[in-house]
Amino acid sequence: MTATSPRNLSLRRLRCFVVAAWLFVTLTFQLPLACHVVAQEPGSAGSGTVESGSHVTGVDFESQIATFLIKRCVECHQPTNRSGSLDLTSAAGLQAGGESGPVVSHDEPEESYLLRRVIDEEMPPPVQGQPQRLSEQEVNLLRRWITAGAVWPEQRRLSLFEQTTDVRAGLDWWSLQPVVRPSVPQPGNMPKPNHPIDAFVLDRLQSAGVTPAPEASRRVLIRRLYVDLIGLAPSEQEIDAFERDESPNAWPRLVDRLLAMPEYGERWARYWLDLARYADTSGYERDQEKAFAWKYRDWVVQALNDDMPYSQFIVHQLAGDEIEDRNEQSTIATGFLRLGTWNDEPNEPLDYQYDRLEDLVHTTSTAFLGMTVKCARCHTHKFDPIAQDDYYRMASVFWAGPIAPRDRELLGGPSAQELGFENVLGWTDLNASPAALQVLKNGEREHPLHEVIPASLSFVPTLERRYQPPSADERTTNRRLQLAQWIADPKNPLTPRVIVNRIWQHHFGQAIVRTPDNLGYLSDPPTHRELLDWLAAEFLHSGGSIKSLHRLILTSQTWRQSSLHPQGSSQTQQDPGNRLLWRAERRRLDAEALRDSLLVAAGCLDSRMGGESFKATVSPEALEGLSQKSSAWQASPAEQQHRRSLYMFLKRGLLPPMMTAFDLCDATQSVGQRDVTIVPTQALALLNNPLVHEQSQFLAKTICARTDIPEQQIQFAWSAILKRPPSVDEQRMALEHLASQQTHFAQRLGGNADPVVPDDGASNDPATDANEIAHPDDCDAHSLSLASLCHVLMNSNEFAYVD
Amino acid sequence: MNRRPGFPCGQSRREFVWQMGAGFAGVALSAMLEQSGFQLPSARATEVSAINPLAAKPPQLKTQIRSCIFLMMNGAPSQVDTFDYKPELQKHAGKQLPADKKYINSGGRKVGYLTPAWRPFRPGGQSGLLISDYFPKVREHADKLCVLKSCHTDSHAHGSALVAMNTGKTLIGRPSLGSWAVYGLGTENEDLPGYVVILDKRGGPISGQPNWSAGFMPATYGGTLFRPVGDPILDLKGPPHVNQAVQREQLDLLARLNEQHLEQRPGGQDLAARINSYELAYRMQSATPEAVDLSGESQSTLDSYGVGVHPTDEYGRNCLIARRLVERGVRFIQLYSGGGHLEETWDAHESIEKNHGQHAGEVDQPIAALLNDLQQRGLLDQTLVIWGGEFGRMPFSEGPSAPGRNHNPYGFSMWLAGGGVRGGTSYGETDELGFEAIENKVHLHDLHATILHLMGLDHERLTYFHQGRDESLTDVGGRVIYDVIG
Repeated sequence: MTATSPRNLSLRRLRCFVVAAWLFVTLTFQLPLACHVVAQEPGSAGSGTVESGSHVTGVDFESQIATFLIKRCVECHQPTNRSGSLDLTSAAGLQAGGESGPVVSHDEPEESYLLRRVIDEEMPPPVQGQPQRLSEQEVNLLRRWITAGAVWPEQRRLSLFEQTTDVRAGLDWWSLQPVVRPSVPQPGNMPKPNHPIDAFVLDRLQSAGVTPAPEASRRVLIRRLYVDLIGLAPSEQEIDAFERDESPNAWPRLVDRLLAMPEYGERWARYWLDLARYADTSGYERDQEKAFAWKYRDWVVQALNDDMPYSQFIVHQLAGDEIEDRNEQSTIATGFLRLGTWNDEPNEPLDYQYDRLEDLVHTTSTAFLGMTVKCARCHTHKFDPIAQDDYYRMASVFWAGPIAPRDRELLGGPSAQELGFENVLGWTDLNASPAALQVLKNGEREHPLHEVIPASLSFVPTLERRYQPPSADERTTNRRLQLAQWIADPKNPLTPRVIVNRIWQHHFGQAIVRTPDNLGYLSDPPTHRELLDWLAAEFLHSGGSIKSLHRLILTSQTWRQSSLHPQGSSQTQQDPGNRLLWRAERRRLDAEALRDSLLVAAGCLDSRMGGESFKATVSPEALEGLSQKSSAWQASPAEQQHRRSLYMFLKRGLLPPMMTAFDLCDATQSVGQRDVTIVPTQALALLNNPLVHEQSQFLAKTICARTDIPEQQIQFAWSAILKRPPSVDEQRMALEHLASQQTHFAQRLGGNADPVVPDDGASNDPATDANEIAHPDDCDAHSLSLASLCHVLMNSNEFAYVD
Repeated sequence: MNRRPGFPCGQSRREFVWQMGAGFAGVALSAMLEQSGFQLPSARATEVSAINPLAAKPPQLKTQIRSCIFLMMNGAPSQVDTFDYKPELQKHAGKQLPADKKYINSGGRKVGYLTPAWRPFRPGGQSGLLISDYFPKVREHADKLCVLKSCHTDSHAHGSALVAMNTGKTLIGRPSLGSWAVYGLGTENEDLPGYVVILDKRGGPISGQPNWSAGFMPATYGGTLFRPVGDPILDLKGPPHVNQAVQREQLDLLARLNEQHLEQRPGGQDLAARINSYELAYRMQSATPEAVDLSGESQSTLDSYGVGVHPTDEYGRNCLIARRLVERGVRFIQLYSGGGHLEETWDAHESIEKNHGQHAGEVDQPIAALLNDLQQRGLLDQTLVIWGGEFGRMPFSEGPSAPGRNHNPYGFSMWLAGGGVRGGTSYGETDELGFEAIENKVHLHDLHATILHLMGLDHERLTYFHQGRDESLTDVGGRVIYDVIG
């Protein structure tokens, strides 16, 4: 295929085109809520009146010309952006022509200006040097229409956003339609599945001729469930007990038990913290600590453990300071708005205000709405029906807060006095009637266009309304509250779809819409759109209970499938991405679960919940990346080093190397899905990092203290790490390993009074906690060989992956 | 949703990617496929996407360059004292900068008087390119250099400007130049990291990690900090009692356990890839110390770089390591000169002569040796060498008693050398005082676009799809400066 399709081209070129003439958006004369887009009532406009024309010319205005103009012309030739003074959204606009006079000539249609410009390939204009030439069919369509008199139904006004074309989404885009509960399908030729999720999935499987995998074994299921819900593996005893539990309620009871554990909140909070771009410092040169950020982290954990209704979860984070029953906890929740990076020395502090607004708009719209509203900072969104005004409407909500440059000590937030609480990292408005925010041409401060009137966003027309100003006695604008209420409105089509999709993703490894932060035009199409809507409807019906959603998903047969399928290889040919969900996805433990699992296996996990973050021990080499070197990092005392990974202090200038090796995200932007990479530096970390050696040695010592019989030691090691007994073959290999390793260590320890011979340059290293841990003076050769065996198991694929 | 044209089997890009089951490697791959306008048969694509994301990929454009060395002069050298000769400064010495020349006084420093170069300029090479006595040895290689005299950037503050020079934007969170290079081209030696950063012993650059971060790309594409002595990378060795023999046995047992695990899970490409990663790691453990082990270098080579001699030892060692890394197929290498803050870097607020005397003294000979050595070994044609800081410095002093110069993002010099670069030339001009770029201005996006172009990557087509947008290093800006390409 050599021809470049418009779609392809636009994908390539989808930067913010700074083409001034294109983007000169002047909305000033409009009432803000008589917005740019007035969705046409289906069939209300045009289609009848043009019938005659269509019969004559074979050109149908509604299905052909309207679509063509919207796709190719209207973005730059509409009332809000009349490039060349030409408006191609109405009959009057067409007749009026532009700067160069009439664009359609009825006498000499072939010489019509509109047609000439198109034929000469001057229109549509090139974008960043790339021609936007029309296809021959498009030119012919235009020619035939003009030749036939360019008939335009009198009342018909076009709008850029009225329909989805093959270059952009309109207001009819699927994710913007109301959530309507679909009926649960009845897959043919089989008894109706007990579980609605299974009905949706089987329905698609069946039509594709693909069969689901059998249920996974209980052993696999319980480990999968533990890791999924609490991020920690079950003990061998827990596994055995579940395997023996024959009660029909064994599974739902186990699900409920885990959902009730506080560790559940610790596990699932981390996903939300990625979306909230959580870190404990500001970033940039001084990278100051954001004191009390951890209270926000603890708030998220608690909210999840309490199964706080999702609407409340939204409202507290965006407007916990504006609600009627505001308290310290709801104010802590507004830490969501304080977690972004913050530069105390921006190049141009006045410009920086707008970058901060972008961070807030982007994080809010990504996390809650799965829409890239930030793309409309400079211009109408290139792919979604998001007007530039929409961006500024959302930005205006944060404009009343501590956005403008002021005392650096406040790290871009309100003072304790303004906030109303001491020792809280939170957000509030600085006054109730801030100066108006102006829409900026190309997003540039120097080019203000018009004042934005704070209002909800226009892409949900049924909920579009202007924000009420606060009453006289209020000290904030109440705009954030109104934004939060709009997001949390059960009629907002995006909110439930987005959260349900995210929850699904963390249970299955892939979401139903596999681009969880974007449900717009450039999203991946949903694998099961009806299922998504059904789940969204259920979620709304449950009052936004995330725990109910977990329960719903986890009790499905779909979730409980094996990751292996008897016809795996043929079905992989047919559906290599497992989009039909014919098996479970095997998943690598993420950075937190992996480190936590190591600690659990060794029996070292410190399960104290909450409170200040701890600073992990980091090798001196890793500190070399800091401009202030070692002074910038003082590791917490050893007694805190074994807490769950959730509690690690995240310094933006120095994220813990062990965690970034396993794809911890960089904490600058909202992230709904981490990468999963497999690279050799991960192997190096698990093979050599002092933390891992500490765990394997600690476990070996524990085992040695229990028994000195190698066979039993091996059993213990397998039980602690892999939660199962070794096979006969494994037992044999392990025995051989112990014997051989013991010989090595005995030689080194016995033949040399100083067995610890650092190699090469390592001898120059200053002693550190980490190094001390790695020099086990009190280990004998046998204990070291057992540690070596444990170390191997801790590196195994079986340990790192969940089936 | 419509079927979108342009992808194998009429799938959308996303579908294509996910059906490869390849996660980010697939993203990179399909992006490359799309950009290069060609499509692999899907069987072949599966094969390609299953391997390491750092696997070497063909460049988008014709190029002879395989590696890039960025000599990062952290703290910002002064252009009028090094590569941008301004005789007018002599004439106007002692006067103030004309009032019509507007600037931000970074840090609110004292504003002194126009001050000529602290050391004389002399012509170098056949080309007669004027270079000051801060770089007498580099001057001998003037014919290899193309000096960009008209650079300008977006920030006057070190933290933001460093991040901008490395990632294109003043805000942290974007992939760095080296990340884009390895994302686009992979690396030719998987036993070594594809993108290596060696810092100055005095400390890292301001803002730290975001300067070599992969930003929103997979962390794999981020820079790996390399220590020039001993173990170059983190976690390269375990505790001393785990020697090579011990570890080999561990890895053998691990491989057997993993193989058994894999046998029960047919088709487990992820599992197989992880098994393979342990063998790669094992090789890295010997390959990386070997790369920094200078014991096989001849004494004359060591001497030429100034290894073992004050003040050139550190940077000389780093430059020599850079050559060794180039020989071993490492794609992108960044060597910091200056670390920490203020006078420990090129940030010469107090005294140009003292500061640049020291820092140039540390790097002049090593850089000259590097250029020479690369050429001698036939590597210069396939290596792009970049020299410069995050911005420049003012043509005026910070006061009569403070012969330093404040930050200047409006005009500064960088130079390129190596394959594809038109040596012995300069491009662009600052005004008569060396204050701001006025002719053929080179914004840092232009610089980045040109660097990528020289490396065989089109800055407009090298995109990474992130949150609804095809992101690129140069974003909406950037033009390739063809005049500097030979």
